[in-house]
Amino acid sequence: MSRSEQPVGAVGRTVTRKEDRRLLTGNGNYVSDLELPRMRHVAFLRSPYGHAEILGADVTAARAHVDAVFTGDMPEMSSVELRALSALPTYIETAQPILARGKVRFAGEAVAAVVASDRYKAEDAIELIRMDYKPLPATVVAWEKPQVPVHEGAPDNVLLEREFVSGDVDAAFAESAVVVERELTTNRHAGNPMECRATVALWDKADDKLTLWSGTQVPHLVRNMLAELLGLAEGNVRVIAPDVGGGFGTKAVLYAEDVAICVMAREMRGTPLKWVEDRAEHLQAAAHARDHRYLMKVGFSSEGKITAVQADVTCNIGAYSVYPWTAGIEPLMAGGLLTGPYMVDNYRCVTRGVTTNTAYAGPYRGVARPATVFAMESMLNAGADKLGISDLDIRRLNLIPEDAVPYRMPSRLVDDSGWYGRALELCVEAVGYDDFLLEQKRRAEHGEAPIGIGFACYNELTGLGRAAAAGPRMPFRTGHDACTVRVEADGTVTVLSGVTSQGQALETTMAQVVADAVGVPYEDVNVRIGDTNEALWGFGAFSSRQAVIGGGAAHRSGEALREQILKLAAAVYEVPPGEIRLENGQFFGKDERMDTLGTLADVARIAYMESNKLPAGFEPGLQVTRFYDPIRGAFSAGAQVAIIEIDTATGELNILRWICVEDAGRVINPQVVDGQIAGSIAQGLGGALYEHLVYDRSGNLSTGTLLDYLMPTSHEIPELEIGHLSKPADNPLGVRGVGEGGTLGPNAVVAGAIRNALGIEMNHLPFTPAKVWEAMA
Amino acid sequence: MKSAPFDYVKVDSVQDCVAALAAADGDGKILAGGQSFAPVLAMRLARPRLVVDVNGIPGLAAISVDDGRIGLGALVRHVDLLEQPHSPLLAEVAGWIGHAAIRSRGTTGGSIAHADPSAELPVVAALLDARMSVVGPGGTRVVAAGDLFEDALQTTLEDDEMIVHVDMPNPQAWGFAELSRRHGDFGMITVITALVEDQWRVCIGGVAGVPFRALESEQILADGPLDADRIREAARSAAAAVEVSSDLHASATYRRAMAEEFTLRALRQATTPTMKGVA
Amino acid sequence: MRVSFALNGRMEEIDVEPRRTLADALREDLGQTGTHLGCEHGVCGACTVMVDGRPTRACLMFAVQVDGCSVTTVEGLQSDDGKLHALQTAFSECHGLQCGFCTPGMLISAMDLLHREVEPSRERIREEMSGNICRCTGYMGIVDAVEQAAKQLNALNSTTEPPAGKTD
Ligand SMILES: Cc1cc2nc3c(=O)[nH]c(=O)nc-3n(C[C@H](O)[C@H](O)[C@H](O)COP(=O)(O)OP(=O)(O)OC[C@H]3O[C@@H](n4cnc5c(N)ncnc54)[C@H](O)[C@@H]3O)c2cc1C
Ligand code: FES
Ligand code: FES
Repeated sequence: MSRSEQPVGAVGRTVTRKEDRRLLTGNGNYVSDLELPRMRHVAFLRSPYGHAEILGADVTAARAHVDAVFTGDMPEMSSVELRALSALPTYIETAQPILARGKVRFAGEAVAAVVASDRYKAEDAIELIRMDYKPLPATVVAWEKPQVPVHEGAPDNVLLEREFVSGDVDAAFAESAVVVERELTTNRHAGNPMECRATVALWDKADDKLTLWSGTQVPHLVRNMLAELLGLAEGNVRVIAPDVGGGFGTKAVLYAEDVAICVMAREMRGTPLKWVEDRAEHLQAAAHARDHRYLMKVGFSSEGKITAVQADVTCNIGAYSVYPWTAGIEPLMAGGLLTGPYMVDNYRCVTRGVTTNTAYAGPYRGVARPATVFAMESMLNAGADKLGISDLDIRRLNLIPEDAVPYRMPSRLVDDSGWYGRALELCVEAVGYDDFLLEQKRRAEHGEAPIGIGFACYNELTGLGRAAAAGPRMPFRTGHDACTVRVEADGTVTVLSGVTSQGQALETTMAQVVADAVGVPYEDVNVRIGDTNEALWGFGAFSSRQAVIGGGAAHRSGEALREQILKLAAAVYEVPPGEIRLENGQFFGKDERMDTLGTLADVARIAYMESNKLPAGFEPGLQVTRFYDPIRGAFSAGAQVAIIEIDTATGELNILRWICVEDAGRVINPQVVDGQIAGSIAQGLGGALYEHLVYDRSGNLSTGTLLDYLMPTSHEIPELEIGHLSKPADNPLGVRGVGEGGTLGPNAVVAGAIRNALGIEMNHLPFTPAKVWEAMA
Repeated sequence: MKSAPFDYVKVDSVQDCVAALAAADGDGKILAGGQSFAPVLAMRLARPRLVVDVNGIPGLAAISVDDGRIGLGALVRHVDLLEQPHSPLLAEVAGWIGHAAIRSRGTTGGSIAHADPSAELPVVAALLDARMSVVGPGGTRVVAAGDLFEDALQTTLEDDEMIVHVDMPNPQAWGFAELSRRHGDFGMITVITALVEDQWRVCIGGVAGVPFRALESEQILADGPLDADRIREAARSAAAAVEVSSDLHASATYRRAMAEEFTLRALRQATTPTMKGVA
Repeated sequence: MRVSFALNGRMEEIDVEPRRTLADALREDLGQTGTHLGCEHGVCGACTVMVDGRPTRACLMFAVQVDGCSVTTVEGLQSDDGKLHALQTAFSECHGLQCGFCTPGMLISAMDLLHREVEPSRERIREEMSGNICRCTGYMGIVDAVEQAAKQLNALNSTTEPPAGKTD
């Protein structure tokens, strides 16, 4: 599966990443690397209880050893709280204190903070704080009744419930040839970027100005929220996200700790405060995800067409409504996209977010869809089994076909892709389906280790514009980004983009886009991202939006800048405006054989340095800022197929082949696209097979270190075969996002392959050898 | 995740080590490879007043072979075991311990003293009845593996004692089988078998608090020719005798079944001529 | 306590508390922040450095322990004229890094592997690199990069011709 076309410009090519040199030589600039004069270090004391009343705190001993100690009941802390807002009628708004006050709601919640000369001393001091707790019964399972509610305002712990209805489900079930019902659960796990959270806050000594260095994926949002929470003029808050060691959604949250550190910085004006989260804190207190239950009922006609889908979805949203995304982030995504790339007319889904005494759930790559795809695909397999047709055929029958596009999903989202069948067939071809069937039979006859094939088809909703919101109705719409592109006086191009990068090579891809849009070499483009003082606006990295939206803004500004340049150049070289081109930084006239008229550097010099040479009517400078909003979203079609061998003695799985085909639309950088897909499949496999955040009944996290929380290594991830489709999307670059799709398949594929190999159903994730073995017994 | 403060002394003799530990009066700990101890310190699960670094003591990193026995200094690193030519079993075992960067620091003495029930070397020690030379303020004593391991992470070593040397027979044939969640992880089940003085031995790690010598299986193996049926019976017997419990990664039932399966695998490896454990 | 050791070929002397890890000393006291901390309990591999030629978790060693040792970190991989090591080039060409946080540890572990084995298979690479977790790449690019660097280093050893670099 290789790519053949050779593009001319920078877009479509694999280029040397702009990020690489510094990262490969140990010269990256991560927040944890930042060192400022007079810097002090923060450590948090965290709750050892899942649920407890705080009766009191004694900080005298600690205070004697350090610069400062803060607790939640101090007025400077208690006056700020986080309230994630949503306009959904059933939503119960709750408050999250920035340091726990009155009670603690999950083990690991920050209850106090100290500031010391280094982290070692800060950790010494938190041990001297005496907290007095009265333990309360904890609720850790979202589908169990609470003894003591987590929040007063929600006696049953339900923070939000919504119903999606389309068509007539009951009538459709009545007419179905086959109806299958299942309960499926997915395993709580988390993004766990290799760099944990890190924050440095500096409140100006004299002025009400705040600078925050943070590994955040959403610097402009953070700026906006901090300004509002702390009563600062937005322009006086600067958020800088330098190199960030992975995010995956975990860092798209404004955390209580972040705000607490800003408040502490306000109390300690002029002193930079640094907090580098350690892995134990991260596992306890950074956002978790995917702790869901699906009660599914799906009807089929006798030939295997889906007649109706009914679902009852419960998402464990943890102790707080994650700020600013709300408790709705997972349940609403689940309800909105459950039917995936399949034609479904009759749909009824009740989905709810339930608060518990566990770390709060937030965005994690794929938000809810690794779970919904698992639920939907498992139901298809169960249906196929009953109907006596193959797993492959039932998908072929039900995928949204090309001629049905634009297809309005039962949740009213509009699918613009329809290339699901193509993605699936490419996988089937690559895997050698017929050969697989023969080999499967041969092994069965010879009593060799059984193999099975698993499928997953999915639609990844990417680059959501203002009209395509799939989430909770929050008081902001994330459809647009801005980009400023300018030519500097030396003819190089600088891009100030609102995108952020946690490894996705945005510095590189934005440069590629702008290089082509303006007409300069990739090497001449320098990109600055992740600083709210530089880019006008950007919502940041989530929902696979940046290639589409940030890329669109970069492209639009680049093209507008090219127009501006050409106008000026035409006047400078005295040729008619329509008869001049800019290519590779050089101007050419109408005559293709003619030599260059001059270089961009020449014209740029005039624009900035030699205004005496500026033609009449031209202002100095060459710069353009444009926004872009795709209005709707772009669906990316994806399919994954794997062949898995099972050691029936141990339940161990051996992945023999793993194939993924996705539609990235027009590809900006093939290597980066493949990297996104491979990385997300690996995370999906982690969730399917290894990663599980487990709480005991009292709300203690049993998987608090990387010895228990198992992320896959190079040995566990198989060779991945990645193929491509390219249906240009309706946006300036024709791109579709690919940041998350890979995570959507593995749960379903592995479950399908086990079922196919052994005839057993795996409805509860993750699929450990022990569970597979027990299911066989 | 930063250690609490401690005093540090780097000793250059066993005597100084033992004296320093004795002077610390129960509040001193040996630092060998640090691959288990450093995380414990970082998580503040231990806070000794004194840390005694034994890495500078000369003469403890030697591997000696003599008359069918193999002797390991306490500071023999896992990587040294991996690279030595004398004992294929020890080389195999070392390859299963963690990863290269763990193996280049972790020591034989440290692994045995740490007594993690999922660690490989304690299983070897129990299997081969290793004899540990232990030095304390009162002099040297020799402790057999069976008398050393008390429970998970607990040994009969005194606070001021140091393992300096481990001595064990070099088996005629052996088999090794381990089930772990990921490559390099501690074993969920580790089974090692060995032929020593024409007697088969079987030891299982990762199940109970201490490595489990399956004596009944050993008897079964001694009772007649090692055909497939006998091996199967021995494995069944080992699994039936082992004490298992449920945890995050697996239920007790699964563990017991795996004890049987991996005993079978280890015995097959030890007795199938094409496999690596056969001398 | 005073500690002196060679860091990437240069003698350094620092004064540290005994409990300070080598990783913290490198990062905070010597400003060599290329060595990263991803877990501080030995599992993730981000902090892997060479101590006396052996790969070592810098989070599990105390700075006082490297007195008299020779330590190599990612900052020491380039040659003096700034030319990247074959592994660094290969990681870039094969997209063996995304966020770059695991990369310093990956490079050191890969270097150790290539010291020990001349031409490891992809399977061996996957086994031997499994002590370093990467959350971004899915390991594809990393395995490709180690394989490519091994080839280049072998070619270099047999011909003394410099390996071909990337052209764009
Ligand atoms: C990521 C990771 C993975 C690992 N995987 C495995 C694995 O798969 N299998 C496995 O077996 N191990 C594994 N280990 C642990 C490793 O093997 C350790 O090296 C070993 O358990 C302890 O040896 P050490 O020399 O590092 O001892 P240290 O950590 O220095 O000490 C451990 C304990 O023993 C005491 N001690 C040390 N030496 C002596 C002595 N000579 N006499 C008396 N007491 C002593 C110390 O005081 C301390 O209490 C892993 C470690 C890590 C970090
Ligand atoms: S930081 Fe040292 S291994 Fe993770
Ligand atoms: S590149 Fe991000 S963790 Fe490996």
